[in-house]
Amino acid sequence: MSRTITCPVCGRRNGYEFRFGGEDKGPRPEEEGMSPEKWFEYTHLNDCKAGIRKEWWFHRDGCGVWFTIFRDTASNREVVRPPERELEAVP
Amino acid sequence: MKRLTHLPTLKIDTSKKISVYYRSKTHTGWYGDTIATLLYADGIRVFGRSLKYHRPRGLYSLDGECSNTMMAVDGRPNVRAETTMAADGMHIAAQNVQGTSEKPVESTPEKDWMGFMDHLSWAMPAGFYYRIFHKPEKLWPIAVSRIRKAAGVGVLTSGYTVKGRYDEIYPATDVCVVGGGPAGMEAALSAADKGLRVILMESRPWLGGFYDYRTSLDADGVPLYRKANAMAERIAGYPNIRVFKNAPVVGVYGNSMVTAFQRGGRDRPFEQRYIEIQTRSIVVAAGCIERPLLFENNERPGVMQMGCAHRLARTWGILPGRRAVFSIGHDLGLEAAIDLADLGMKVVHVADVREDGQDQRLLDELKKRDIPFSRGWTAIKAGGKRNIEKVTIGTVNGMRRREFSCDTLAASAGLTPVTGPLATAGAKLEYHHLTGFFLPVKLPDNVYAAGRLLGLNDPASVEASGRLNGLRAAAACGVRVDSELKAAEAETSVLPGPVRNSKMVTAPVKNQKMFICFDEDTTVKNVDQAMDRGFDVPELIKRFTAAGTGPGQGGVPGHNLPLYVAQRGDSPDVDPRPITVRPPLTPVLLATYAGRNHDMHKRTPVHESQSASDGRMDRAGVWLRARYFSDDRRSRREIENVRGNVGVLDASTLGKFRIFGNDALKALQRVYIGDMNRVREHRMTYAAMCNDDGCLIDDGVIVKQAENDYYFTTSTGRSGATIEWIRYHTRYENLDFHMVNLTDAFGVINLAGPNSRNVLQKIADVDISNEAFPFMGYREFTINDIIPVRAMRLGFVGELSYELHVPSSYMQAVWDLLEKAGKSFKIKKFGLEAQNTLRLEKCHVIIGSESEQRTTLCDLGLGFLWCKSKPEANTVGSVALRQTENQSGRLKLVGFKMKNGLERPPKDGSPIVDSRIRGYVCTARFSFTLNEPIGMALVEDSYAKPGSVFGIYENGCKGRLIRAEVVKTPFYDPTGERMKS
Ligand SMILES: [Zn+2]
Repeated sequence: MSRTITCPVCGRRNGYEFRFGGEDKGPRPEEEGMSPEKWFEYTHLNDCKAGIRKEWWFHRDGCGVWFTIFRDTASNREVVRPPERELEAVP
Repeated sequence: MKRLTHLPTLKIDTSKKISVYYRSKTHTGWYGDTIATLLYADGIRVFGRSLKYHRPRGLYSLDGECSNTMMAVDGRPNVRAETTMAADGMHIAAQNVQGTSEKPVESTPEKDWMGFMDHLSWAMPAGFYYRIFHKPEKLWPIAVSRIRKAAGVGVLTSGYTVKGRYDEIYPATDVCVVGGGPAGMEAALSAADKGLRVILMESRPWLGGFYDYRTSLDADGVPLYRKANAMAERIAGYPNIRVFKNAPVVGVYGNSMVTAFQRGGRDRPFEQRYIEIQTRSIVVAAGCIERPLLFENNERPGVMQMGCAHRLARTWGILPGRRAVFSIGHDLGLEAAIDLADLGMKVVHVADVREDGQDQRLLDELKKRDIPFSRGWTAIKAGGKRNIEKVTIGTVNGMRRREFSCDTLAASAGLTPVTGPLATAGAKLEYHHLTGFFLPVKLPDNVYAAGRLLGLNDPASVEASGRLNGLRAAAACGVRVDSELKAAEAETSVLPGPVRNSKMVTAPVKNQKMFICFDEDTTVKNVDQAMDRGFDVPELIKRFTAAGTGPGQGGVPGHNLPLYVAQRGDSPDVDPRPITVRPPLTPVLLATYAGRNHDMHKRTPVHESQSASDGRMDRAGVWLRARYFSDDRRSRREIENVRGNVGVLDASTLGKFRIFGNDALKALQRVYIGDMNRVREHRMTYAAMCNDDGCLIDDGVIVKQAENDYYFTTSTGRSGATIEWIRYHTRYENLDFHMVNLTDAFGVINLAGPNSRNVLQKIADVDISNEAFPFMGYREFTINDIIPVRAMRLGFVGELSYELHVPSSYMQAVWDLLEKAGKSFKIKKFGLEAQNTLRLEKCHVIIGSESEQRTTLCDLGLGFLWCKSKPEANTVGSVALRQTENQSGRLKLVGFKMKNGLERPPKDGSPIVDSRIRGYVCTARFSFTLNEPIGMALVEDSYAKPGSVFGIYENGCKGRLIRAEVVKTPFYDPTGERMKS
């Protein structure tokens, strides 16, 4: 795919060098009272909405760091951090 | 045929002869000839037969826009004769021609046995295949095989293998320019002048675009071909412009990637190579191709594009024929007619579909040469069986007609822009009324369009458009070009803009063979039929009639189909809509995508000595490993030697890591399911990692080397993902730890068997008695005073054994020392197969063999590794393990033996109880140690207790089940005495 991704350490690089780590869903929820359904949702499900998403990426063939970027899933392009107002819609 | 060898525009080298074989004859041309031009120069006019109707087809374009001239070359079908350079000794054959069964002689495209198909076209209306043979169902396979036989293009002979080298390169650049014509070259130059790296892509073998074959003068009185040469020379002087010629673009992806392939052969070290360009901005200056004219028999050999006729003469020195009629809709056609007349061709008539708008100077030139010219006229019909012999032209309304005898008809409705690269990049295209083009109305960021594809025609405008968009692309890369950009914009604003193009014209004939798509034999009538059946969108008509789905990738029908549909449609006010274009814009060989076929693998430090001593090397993950050391696929002697004596195994592929730093323990607690607080120095701890589903993903051993400093191993398959895994699961905390992947820094030797201590003691510099170095112990010592080893007493194969971690550079030395020390004990290498049976006897699991995606730690009977009392660690897998711990209906790992005295292990298969599948067999082998077959299986929990009996359905058993019984595990040495002693 035609993706470039900006690694915080190495800069803008070919997307092939990176591994996708899912949408950013925040740290692990409290285990207290965790139902299998809730756990499944946290570990496996992404929202998959069209638009700007905050995502985790791993620089696998590079420096080996996990980081987040913003990507417009409609155009498959990395975008700069959206304005706060729009960001609110991004979980 | 005598060629015009004096022309300054030629691209052939008349000092180098090239000979090819076609129809048992040698045909000779020159270096620079394509297969098509070489054969054409030698009088070949019919190059092949069409897909459905077996109509004769000839040279039509010169850029491979249709399948007319696809031929088989050296056994490879569907080679584009127009774009493939002729090379000495090529064997060329025509395609889709059939002889009779009695006479299996070579059939020729001139005489095709299936030619009668053309007269059956009435029986094949659009979509007939799907509609007619739909019912009864029984007809379908017959129809498919029969029609398939009659139709088709090239045939791949069985056993054909692709020869030659297929390469791939992945260059990166700042600006990528698609198209090496005047606009593209200017764009490349203006971006390169800003110091940026530029890649220039050109599909033809030379730069120059629509300049390179033309002798007409620009505003300064310079012939265009000379201008093109001068630009190409300037470009060659720029070290920061990389030019790929003969390299058609396959697709543009987003605003940052262009893929292409480059034709090699001849004097290049590759046949074809894949090019994938990472770029920061893109200028598309791909120019125009010609829009075919629609008239009866518009694809008969002898009918060709105006540019084809012109370039044949100017670039290859070949006059297309003796007498030509021109039916065109663009000034380029007038120019071609004049030039070809000057070069010696008899131009009997020029018909121009345009009523007005011609360049008066060109009309004057025609007049000077007494070439008859008529406005508002078009070709109506081409006559002649294999090659045209006559042409009827007439007024667009059909009121007046005239017939001429001729052997060439240069026919073209006008131009159409090559917008494929823009369309694949995501540009929005709309019909533009002035030019009649589909033009981009919205371009993606950092993508620019320039040159003739915007409808420009004047050379000065085309070049200025290139410069302007080259600057825009430079600006997109962050270069400041404000003042130059303003100047370039000012320059273009005073130059001529886009020009009006000819309108869509269909010859005034009904129900005749006017082909809208040559590749698929789709006629205008077929489109009418589709529309009569209610299809109204070009996209759907394309699918129903197959127009544009052939090898030409929509080159011929791409523009005419939507125009025709819009014109004939019910609402003529609706603008034509372009057909969706997808990569590949030019077909690519699969061999090119396969590339070099490189088998990338890793070798262990003792690879050479392993394979030299009869080791059969197999792929294991990213590694090559020795599987057997003899022809015995059961490795009996290797196994018995480990059980009874001492064996040695190369286990260097194990993952080996160091983790250290203030939060190292915290990180380990997160990913390891056990309690890492209990990991001690000098003692190995067996530990496992689960994923968030509680499923086992890795197991290994870990030892503490200092406070918050640990050394641990992972399975071979996991070593590549371990660092990623640990960092992923700590990504939200700013933990302070570091990891080093030591997998390649250390090799591993597994010395196993009752005599292993005796062997090792001979070379170890310390006491390794059972008291000094007990089971699960970890020691660091030297061998021969100098070689440092990390030694662990583990028991994967169930015997007294030592795992020696040795710096890679010392691996072979230690291995040799062990073999020497073990010689008196008859030490013997063992491979993966022996290890597999040995560990099976102990029921030690291998992840992926005894587990799959859904197998949890507890399912494998390894629940004892799970520490439930460290909730603060948020251990990966603990949540799911708690939730599934007591779930019923899960598959559990069991050991089984065969019933009824069966002496062989089962093949892969499924345990069956009460006629239902209850799981699957994981591993089964004949155990020489126990002298009976044994195995492990995952079975439903209700059948997992020792004593349960199940049948096993094996692959190919035809319903005859063999019986097995669940037994207690492990099979061998249940108390572990042997590995502890
Ligand atoms: Zn990086």
